[in-house]
Amino acid sequence: MAEQFIGKASEFKDGDRQIVRIGEDEIGVFKHEGAFYAYSNFCLHQGGPACEGLTIANVEERLRPDKTSMGLHFTDQMNFVCPWHGYEYDMKTGCHVKDKSVKLRKYDVVTKGNDVYVVA
Amino acid sequence: MSSPRTKKAAPKAAKPSTKAAKPAIKASRAASKPASDEGMTGRDKANFIKAMMEGIAPKDASGKRPPIKVEAPKKVEILRKISAPTPVERKSNPLSDEALKFAARLEEKFANGDFEALTPEATQALMTAICKLYSANAEAGNKFPVVKDRFSVTGTDAMILCGALLKAVDLQVFELGMWQSWSGI
Repeated sequence: MAEQFIGKASEFKDGDRQIVRIGEDEIGVFKHEGAFYAYSNFCLHQGGPACEGLTIANVEERLRPDKTSMGLHFTDQMNFVCPWHGYEYDMKTGCHVKDKSVKLRKYDVVTKGNDVYVVA
Repeated sequence: MSSPRTKKAAPKAAKPSTKAAKPAIKASRAASKPASDEGMTGRDKANFIKAMMEGIAPKDASGKRPPIKVEAPKKVEILRKISAPTPVERKSNPLSDEALKFAARLEEKFANGDFEALTPEATQALMTAICKLYSANAEAGNKFPVVKDRFSVTGTDAMILCGALLKAVDLQVFELGMWQSWSGI
């Protein structure tokens, strides 16, 4: 495992991402709320490009005390969705939103000055 | 009671066993000799025995060490860059400012679970006006995302409204698909 240079931090706006191939691994690097996250671009469902779909906040249905709906609302948790079949992963952990045991391989991201490295 | 003499005798008794070990080593050295000594000089034999006892020298042709595998540096290739959607350019006019304030009030009502902030009649009027305005802009080439970002409207909300709009004008999803492929809008 070594640090692999993937780009300049200034080239990433918040919400941007980059798909890189490092050796045999294909990795999606996200910038979200100022932090970098990197995951395997190989969906655990059927091998789709997990990091290339929509990024969308988690949706929850809020309920009143009597269990009637207050409508669907977005939460602060950001997810990314595999474009093939809609497998949805938490941006900060790489876990599937409903089944935490399903987890994408996570890579460490190191920033040194303006340089961004993925440890792979 | 043991005398000092008997104590000294014990090490002496051990000596024969160490002496007995030496012939065993000699025997193993003899066994390590090649089966055929033909063509070997005395120096070759000495070198052979030395090699057997000390191990094969690293530079010996028959004992080359396997080359140490050095991991090649991994190739980094940037495949795709996906940019975050850019927000629409903000232009201000009195009606838009009023609409923004009104929308914010409605959002606040919705967040508190108040779905009846607008009467059905008011909702219909607002929906009709917005539908016409957005479509006219799109047909005129002034295209912009219909909602601010991906966190404005859920997929369920969008499907419910789309379905209701299609039903209101008696259209099927198939017809929508055909029209989209013809018009390119």
